[in-house]
Amino acid sequence: MLAEIFRFEVRYHLKQLVFYVCLIIFFLLTFGAVTSDSVQIGGSIGNVNRNAPFVIMQFLLVMSVFSVFTTTAFVSNAALRDFDLGTDALFFSSPMRKRQYLIGRFAGSFVVSLLIYLGVVGGIMIGSFMPWLEKERIGAFTLTPYLYSLVVLIAPTVLLVSAIFFAVAALTRSTMATYASAVALLVGYVVASAIVGSSLENEKLASLFDPFALSTFGLATRYWTVFEKNSQVLPLGGVFLWNRLIWVAVSLAIFGVALWRFRFETGGRRSRRSFAVSAAQDDVAIPPVILSVSEGSQPAHTSRLTQLLSTARLELKTALLSIPFIVILLLGVVNTVGGAAFADSLFDTKIYPVTGQMLRIIDSNFLLFALIIVTFYAGEIVWRERQQKMSEVVDATPVPSSALWFGKLLALYLIVIVLLTTAMLSTMAVQTAKGFHDYQLALYVKGLFLEVGLAMLMIATLAFVLQVVTNNKYLGFLLMLLYFVSMAVLPAMHFEHNLYRFANTPPAPYSDMNGYGHFVAPLVWFNLYWTLFCGLLLLTGHLLWVRGTESNFGKRLRIAGGRFGAAPKTTLAVLLIAFVATGGFIYYNTNVLNHYRTSEDREKRSAEYEKKYKRYETMALPKITDVQADVDLYPERRAFDIRGMYTIVNKTAAPMDTLHVTMNPDMTRSTVSIPGATVQASDKEHGYTIYRLAPPLAPGATLPMRFTASLEQHGFVNGEANTQIVANGTFINNFTYFPHLGYQTGGELQDRNKRKKYGLPPVVRLPKIGDPQARNINQLAAESDFLNLDTTVSTAPDQIAIAPGYLQKEWTANGRRYFRYKTTSPILGFWSYLSARYAVKRDRWNDVPIEIYYDPKHPYNVQRMADGVKRSLDYFTANFSPYQHKQVRILEFPRYARFAQSFPNTIPFSESIGFIADLRDKEAIDYVFYVTAHEVGHQWWAHQVVGARVQGTTMITETMAQYSALMVMEKEYGGDKMRKFLKYELNSYLAGRGGELVAEVPLMLVEDQGYIHYRKGSLVMYALRDAIGEENVNAALRKIIARWAFQGPPYVRTTEVLDELRAVTPPERQSMLHDLFETITLYDNKATDVTTTRTPDGKYRVRITVSSTKFRADGTGNEKPVPLDDWIDIGVLAAGASKKADGRPLILEKRHITSSPATFELVVGEKPATAGIDPLNKLIDRNPDDNVKKVGGG
Amino acid sequence: MLELQIDGLSKTYPNGVRALDGVTLTIPTGMFGLLGPNGAGKSTLMRTLATLQEADAGSARLGGLDVLRQKDDVRKLLGYLPQEFGVYPKVTAETMLNHFAVLKGITERRARKQAVDALLHRVNLYYVRKQKLGTFSGGMRQRFGIAQALLGDPKLIIVDEPTAGLDPGERVRFHNLLAEIGENVVVILSTHIVEDVSDLCSRMAIISHGRVLMSGEPSEAIRALEGKIWRRSVPRTELDAVQKNYPVISTRLSAGKTFVHVFSDGNPGDGFEGVDGSLEDVYFSTLFHAEGRAEKAA
Repeated sequence: MLAEIFRFEVRYHLKQLVFYVCLIIFFLLTFGAVTSDSVQIGGSIGNVNRNAPFVIMQFLLVMSVFSVFTTTAFVSNAALRDFDLGTDALFFSSPMRKRQYLIGRFAGSFVVSLLIYLGVVGGIMIGSFMPWLEKERIGAFTLTPYLYSLVVLIAPTVLLVSAIFFAVAALTRSTMATYASAVALLVGYVVASAIVGSSLENEKLASLFDPFALSTFGLATRYWTVFEKNSQVLPLGGVFLWNRLIWVAVSLAIFGVALWRFRFETGGRRSRRSFAVSAAQDDVAIPPVILSVSEGSQPAHTSRLTQLLSTARLELKTALLSIPFIVILLLGVVNTVGGAAFADSLFDTKIYPVTGQMLRIIDSNFLLFALIIVTFYAGEIVWRERQQKMSEVVDATPVPSSALWFGKLLALYLIVIVLLTTAMLSTMAVQTAKGFHDYQLALYVKGLFLEVGLAMLMIATLAFVLQVVTNNKYLGFLLMLLYFVSMAVLPAMHFEHNLYRFANTPPAPYSDMNGYGHFVAPLVWFNLYWTLFCGLLLLTGHLLWVRGTESNFGKRLRIAGGRFGAAPKTTLAVLLIAFVATGGFIYYNTNVLNHYRTSEDREKRSAEYEKKYKRYETMALPKITDVQADVDLYPERRAFDIRGMYTIVNKTAAPMDTLHVTMNPDMTRSTVSIPGATVQASDKEHGYTIYRLAPPLAPGATLPMRFTASLEQHGFVNGEANTQIVANGTFINNFTYFPHLGYQTGGELQDRNKRKKYGLPPVVRLPKIGDPQARNINQLAAESDFLNLDTTVSTAPDQIAIAPGYLQKEWTANGRRYFRYKTTSPILGFWSYLSARYAVKRDRWNDVPIEIYYDPKHPYNVQRMADGVKRSLDYFTANFSPYQHKQVRILEFPRYARFAQSFPNTIPFSESIGFIADLRDKEAIDYVFYVTAHEVGHQWWAHQVVGARVQGTTMITETMAQYSALMVMEKEYGGDKMRKFLKYELNSYLAGRGGELVAEVPLMLVEDQGYIHYRKGSLVMYALRDAIGEENVNAALRKIIARWAFQGPPYVRTTEVLDELRAVTPPERQSMLHDLFETITLYDNKATDVTTTRTPDGKYRVRITVSSTKFRADGTGNEKPVPLDDWIDIGVLAAGASKKADGRPLILEKRHITSSPATFELVVGEKPATAGIDPLNKLIDRNPDDNVKKVGGG
Repeated sequence: MLELQIDGLSKTYPNGVRALDGVTLTIPTGMFGLLGPNGAGKSTLMRTLATLQEADAGSARLGGLDVLRQKDDVRKLLGYLPQEFGVYPKVTAETMLNHFAVLKGITERRARKQAVDALLHRVNLYYVRKQKLGTFSGGMRQRFGIAQALLGDPKLIIVDEPTAGLDPGERVRFHNLLAEIGENVVVILSTHIVEDVSDLCSRMAIISHGRVLMSGEPSEAIRALEGKIWRRSVPRTELDAVQKNYPVISTRLSAGKTFVHVFSDGNPGDGFEGVDGSLEDVYFSTLFHAEGRAEKAA
């Protein structure tokens, strides 16, 4: 009997649409995340295999949270179906026993809830076979991780969720109450996770009790290397095992309660059988009947509108109250709220939830759910009457087909509006929760309409018309699926034009500074184009709309012919003409006024450039010593003109008879004129020109090189328009738009597969450190050493334009504003121009003015930046050398790019990297301050001392700027905060190793690898400082500056830097330099046993047993243990002041460790809380969380 | 007086089934019964007359209207209750009927409310008007179907197998309702229950395999059988033999005994006794003769 009930239950659900809808959603989400980077499930996949066991586990875990809704749909149905259908009496009067009934129902619906996860499994399995994925990122197929994850990760979670909601449903006998409790559970979970927070102790607690095992998984796999992620599953043991066991037990207990409390009887709710008609009721007087249509009718058009609205209302109501709609919408809302809460975090510091960001979240986290709803309900709405066997009645009424058809379409459109409104309210709720009340409703409306809404309405139209035309619900769905897949596949195959990608428009990134700016025009045109196309679709649908029972396509065509009267003909003609005309206009803009290039065309061009001219890379070049430039910016039409002159000098010992010049080939106009030079070869496609110099440029001789370069915008482009010269927030630099001498390496393709495809050899990231010729070229520019800049920039009258150097003069002429800037000390050949409507915050450090140019909408952290500048100048001038400029300027630029960059006395700073950081939480890491200090640090490390363009060069600029920033931060925020910061750095470094594409190298040989020169750099310099003292480190740096500032060629290399560091390092610590700089060295330190006893004098004697392993890694991550001979901290910590705060060290001693395990004894005066080895995580530790252990009794 | 004139109507489905084969009928005002076995083409004829389906050939005219072409005009005069009739289960009776009223063109709110209330009373569903249709019993659902068919004072009412599944009381109520309406309009009642026709219809037709086998007044058809229907009770064991030897048009049970009716111009003897023909006998004898013709032709 039990087995029969179980089988029936499973079969029942497998016949329900909800099952397939959930299955398909899960499949699509996962498939999307595996096969593209634009869909994410719990963060991006990163560099592990797309089908790595880690990815499988992570996807299934994250999706298991969604089980709150999917599972509820099944178990509540299982528990309530009989009451809803009124079959309760039937069942309860049968000889079945309550236990059998409940267990069978529960087990059946639980198994079905579990089966949904086959969608995830299928998504990864099938996704990983998709041909457009890089083969390197696909691991061998094995079934084990899927099965293991399903059994160990998913089954207990789904069991728990099933038990909870089955119990709720069975005991309340209300679907709505069950869903309400599902929402409550999820909200509770999110709140609880937030409260439990992230301190070490709590992490373990969370690990043990997280019902979804997300924190358990996160904690256990945090430092898995790529190899581990690709090869192993989370072993079932320890906390993880306990977690699973606890929740299985809880599940069974909850189900037990349901079993015990469930009343196996009908009623409990209003009976639906109580209205049987009694004879007496017949006698009620029948009111006069108005039956005639003519008496109750209205003029045809009013009548038609009423009919249309009535149809729309009925369809909308039916859709909104249906379970799939509610379930999918809730899933979307959860995904959106989660995304909005953590949007754009950096070092876990959140941002102010500005509306522009919220719109982005809706776009990335909500849209997929909305599209699924729209596609699904297009089918439901078109087929509703036929499915309910009501179509014959409706079709036989005199209602005009157009009223039915547009009424239904209107219902679908209203669903879109309901969806978008829900999304907006969700993100507004997040804004409100974060105390952010500047909702910018107008922006919401504009963004939701322009960016998301129109496209959704169009896709709704397509889905609707496909249902009508195919007259087959599943064929309609299938074609929509094909459409969605083609949207992902076409661009991957370099079919990028939006003229043939339905409902697609060029990207339109929003920036608070620049609004939607110039992206609006192409958006409007493409939207108009596709809207007209939708008009054609609607006309087709209208003609082919099935009225009656005739489904034969030939018959339908004949009927369509009959409907194709004068009005449709006129409409068709008008739409067609407008569509073609709009398309033509767009084509004229994108392909005639502008050069239409696919990403493949651009790759090809860059490959050709490399193939043709790479051989000139090492040829001797003259150097630019002086630059004069007039730059006229026209923000309103996004154009600029550059007129300039380089003074070039032959610094070599041989005469030069040719000069190679590279010019950005995308410039509208450009000229170069050099006295006595003739063009020997000119290649417009790649912007490469070879001039013959007559007479040749003699050693030591100079030449003026005059040039002009202009960029104009004509119409609009198909792809993303230029984001550097914009209406408000222009940011251009000389790298991109000024002429260059010789071959430029900057544009070389980096992707290995692409290089292979174009027949290019593997990329050489940087010349070897011993390369003698490369010593004479600095990191930033081959064509200059240090130079002088004298530049005049003009802009719109309401904007301020800024370039490096000091303002010499400001004036207005021809209704434009002019600024002349001049450097007073030599700068590197890298400068920029910015222009925007700025507010200016002025401050001062000694006699150095500080100016922050910011958008008036972003005043939040301007003072932090000014403070950061001041603290930095304090520290750097005291410890390194004087500041070479007389001013510091920070300039906000739009979020089209996300970085800050240091030019001489000028620091452009993206609006997305600090201007909207929410620093109200004092525990949060103040990355605004950190980034500021880092960029100010570059005024020394780059703009004073710049390395040769060989391996290790970024250690001299980036690592030293990191060190500088760390020191400033530590003075400001104290050592505790630094530990927190360095944990992120360690995390990023360890994770970054996993993402390495070529080979990891030691710090001193770094090849522009961010995870090494920033992240490891921080750790290395902090550890060095800890070992040899801040004063020693700074003394060495001072020496480096004294020797190398403003010097070159030849330029400094890391070998010389290391020499200075070696000179200040005591003999017993010399080996440490080898570990830190010359090798890849890692540790695995662990406290294995900690006990304490009271001493007679009331102190605490702490006995600490530790194990320590030291590894050396090669470039591919192969690690080998090496003998220990290290001075490592052994320490005892007090309890943290709060749950979140780490403990304060009571004692910290460097002990020489040569064997493992080792035992130490320390005596402290205060009550110890934890103790262990390297408790402050100064070493690069593969597993930094087990370094301390709670102190146990002795 | 409105009259529906059907002339040579034919329809073959894409799967080759010839559902209508030159149907020619004249249907005057009043109740018209359409009898036929399952699959006879009744529903196809109904759907065609209800403007839901195309015909391959032939014509149908309602008064001055071409039913096959002037569909919109016909729909304004039409009330239709199809054989399979569903509703939105989560919508109340009142809301649903209101929606139908709008679709029928009663778009003026007050008039519509009155019409809807009146019809709900008339089909005795007023008390459950706030109930969701999904909770209705089969009979209630059928009454609701009739209510919607009567919306808008139709001149041509087509009801396809309306009494299937109704209990006797509901059936009587339904018949009364139809009889009341059928005085002034054309009502086509398709059914395979002969009693429905005999109770209600002044004219009728029998169709099978897409052809009209007979049409006319039931009373006249019954009169034509006078003296030609003979009855005998047959033990179950002899049934086969009797069926082989006599033109048995039907067998039926009465008080637990099996009776056979045979069609014969004279007394077949052998214990047969003459009975007054009923409409049922008309129906079965017509089908019987049609089959006989078909067999001969084969």
